[in-house]
Amino acid sequence: MEAKYDFERKYRDQVLRCSSCGFCQAHCPIYGLTLRPALNARGKMLVLKEVMDGTIELNDELVETLFQCTTCANCSTNCPSGVEVPEIIKQVRQDMVNLGTCHPAFTAMADVLARHPNIYAEDDKPDFGRPLNRKAEYVYFIGCVGAYREEDSTEETLSLLDHLKLDYTLIDEVCCSGVLEDVGHKINPGLVNKNVELILATGAKTVVTGCPYCFRTFNNKREYEALAQAGVKVIHLTQLLQDYDFGVRTDKLVTYHDPCDLGRHSGIYEEPRRTIGKIAPNFVELNHNRAEAMCCGAGGGVRGAYPTNSIAMARRRLEEVEASRAEVLLTECNSCVHNLANAKLRKHKFQVFTTTQFINRLLEESA
Amino acid sequence: MLDERIKRELRAIVGEENFSDSLIDMISYSYDAMGSKGKPDCAVWVESAEQISEILKIANREGFPVTPRAAGTGICGMAVPVRGGLVMDVMKMNKVLEISVEDRVAVVQPGLVYADLQKKLAPLGFTLPTEPGSSIASTIGGNVATNAGGLRGAKYGVTKDYVLGLKVVLPDGRIMRTGTRTMKTSSGYDLTHLFVGAEGTLGVVTEIILKIHPLPQATTTAMGLFDSLEEAGRAVSQVMSSGVIPSVMEVMGRHLLEAINQNTNLNLPVVETMLLVETDGYTQAEADAQMTKVIEIFEKNNSFEVKWAKTAKERDDLWTARKSTYPVSARINNNIIVEDVTVPMSKLPDLFRGFEEIIDKYSLVVAMCAHAGDGNFHPLVAYDARDPEEVERVERAMDELFHLAIGLGGTLTGEHGIGLIKAGYMSLEHDPVALDLMRTLKKTIDPNNILNPGKMALEA
Repeated sequence: MEAKYDFERKYRDQVLRCSSCGFCQAHCPIYGLTLRPALNARGKMLVLKEVMDGTIELNDELVETLFQCTTCANCSTNCPSGVEVPEIIKQVRQDMVNLGTCHPAFTAMADVLARHPNIYAEDDKPDFGRPLNRKAEYVYFIGCVGAYREEDSTEETLSLLDHLKLDYTLIDEVCCSGVLEDVGHKINPGLVNKNVELILATGAKTVVTGCPYCFRTFNNKREYEALAQAGVKVIHLTQLLQDYDFGVRTDKLVTYHDPCDLGRHSGIYEEPRRTIGKIAPNFVELNHNRAEAMCCGAGGGVRGAYPTNSIAMARRRLEEVEASRAEVLLTECNSCVHNLANAKLRKHKFQVFTTTQFINRLLEESA
Repeated sequence: MLDERIKRELRAIVGEENFSDSLIDMISYSYDAMGSKGKPDCAVWVESAEQISEILKIANREGFPVTPRAAGTGICGMAVPVRGGLVMDVMKMNKVLEISVEDRVAVVQPGLVYADLQKKLAPLGFTLPTEPGSSIASTIGGNVATNAGGLRGAKYGVTKDYVLGLKVVLPDGRIMRTGTRTMKTSSGYDLTHLFVGAEGTLGVVTEIILKIHPLPQATTTAMGLFDSLEEAGRAVSQVMSSGVIPSVMEVMGRHLLEAINQNTNLNLPVVETMLLVETDGYTQAEADAQMTKVIEIFEKNNSFEVKWAKTAKERDDLWTARKSTYPVSARINNNIIVEDVTVPMSKLPDLFRGFEEIIDKYSLVVAMCAHAGDGNFHPLVAYDARDPEEVERVERAMDELFHLAIGLGGTLTGEHGIGLIKAGYMSLEHDPVALDLMRTLKKTIDPNNILNPGKMALEA
């Protein structure tokens, strides 16, 4: 039978490779929250098997499971059969969008990015009072969440970069638009070109991103190849900071949340721990850490499309933080900070920061 | 088909949020790890024995099938709703109700994942030592339903050895407690163990009183390499009759070792057979003394290399190898069957030899593995379900394996259960009178055959 959809052409063997063992239930954040096997990776693969068999169609009835995935890769990282679930899900979403079937929140996101330079449809550019579009050794790329939702965190990160006397510039950045591919749409060439042009115009040889997702987009998406071709390296802030000594420390008990985009998707686990080790000798790991870390619930468009479940997933992560007795939760992703902070309850006495934000506070306190 | 009137009644019992008849749920509930055979009409997530009781009363009145389900990791088709009707998901009943170290018991709900119980017991120095291979995802309820076992069966037994008592909802809706929370009882019929391994055909278990066991204080690990499965089989038999009972004794065959090497950096020796052994005890000296005896026996049976893991890394590498058995075998081809026939330990060499002939006859790729200490054979058959001709060869080979195992005085299943896939072989293993009594019991307890119908050949 000829394949009807692209997901089938690209991933048929992968879908069939799922042995239905159900071990992904131990890792899937949405299953862990809802206990609904249809939303688990196995449930998704079973639905796709039926689509490939022709017994059901890719239609609106399937949106709830195929669009409710944070693409955190906890399933695929731990899958005995090695099924690359997030890649399959992204391709299926594109097939569904091609058919005119999509979660309305994702359609809205694509519409917003067709008309606005960021995912929040904000037309007023944030003003961080820092040099913009100038020649510099580094470009600091903030990302939409840091620019429009976690401005305080970004302000403090920039203060830290100032303190470290880093020769950097901001640019009139627009959304990297990588997220569009995750939610079934195409990356936006207009936005890509604007970012690439602005970065190259600075003459910088290194882009430092605050957002692990932008970091992945710049490094992995074909559309951003021009950066590598021009010899521009893209690193995440945590890779930069690991080489610095800050001269400050805290006695507080600190823990760390591995963002999926930085950890499972990029393999960056030790750099943030190296930095935190210098400032917080009193450190405790969360029960699920590194490749086993629980997702904060924000990824894959789930925060926009399924906000209640997204916050509830974050709360499950916060329960682990509470159990660790940590006073401070650090992470390296503004999107995680945003979701975790939104999910925080009055009873949660710990504070949530990005690592850079926290270091900057320690510096300010010691000054 | 369940009509709207019945669905309304079900919704009223469990609440709108705990009811579904949506397509995606019906697809996921048509499967367990065996596969799928027919979709249910609807599903409920239950939260109490009382809800289950109300639902079963309706099912009895209306005559629709109810298939209880927990994690759905079973590989015999136990949780597949082969007659449609209602799937009853117990995963929201996932609490540890009590742990009493003083009484050495834990009281839990059926949807509790095995690994989650272990996380609570380990800091107290205790364990439920059955540890099935699916421990990260499978539940205590599912373990009870199949009488699940694992690597440590030879020394520590299987699930039934740790179940002291149950709370069960019977098919007519009556709620019953069985057993005790004492370490022993001689009081009345042993109803508790009628429900262990019953695969949800007699009642829905809602509470389980478990005997918990102290965590071993010391362990040690070694491996022995053999030129033939037969020599390894003899070594196993002699170890098991030597007075030493290893906590783990696993057989791993050539294809499996090759597959592990292709997928990991462990660089295992590729030989005909590897035996992996763990001994444990209250002191290291006790564990080591047992291992010394095991190694003596290995050497006497021509093990050409014995390696006693002296460092944590050496030990961890060996266990990583064993734990990767399923993942690496699952990557050999698109599909995999894990068999679990079990024979008396002295017959293991005969089973190995016989099955090798079967594999050759049907040209199959099989990763050989067994919990040798309790005679539980686990060949992993890699095949492609898209190839009907290969599927037929696999089915024939399995048919011959079942006959071989029963002929050697064995059983169809050591720890996975009968479910759908082995139902057709029940009469091969069981005395006709015994099978008749099983059917009579089913009829007595579930006269309308509403609970998990179509399983275990209880209707023929």
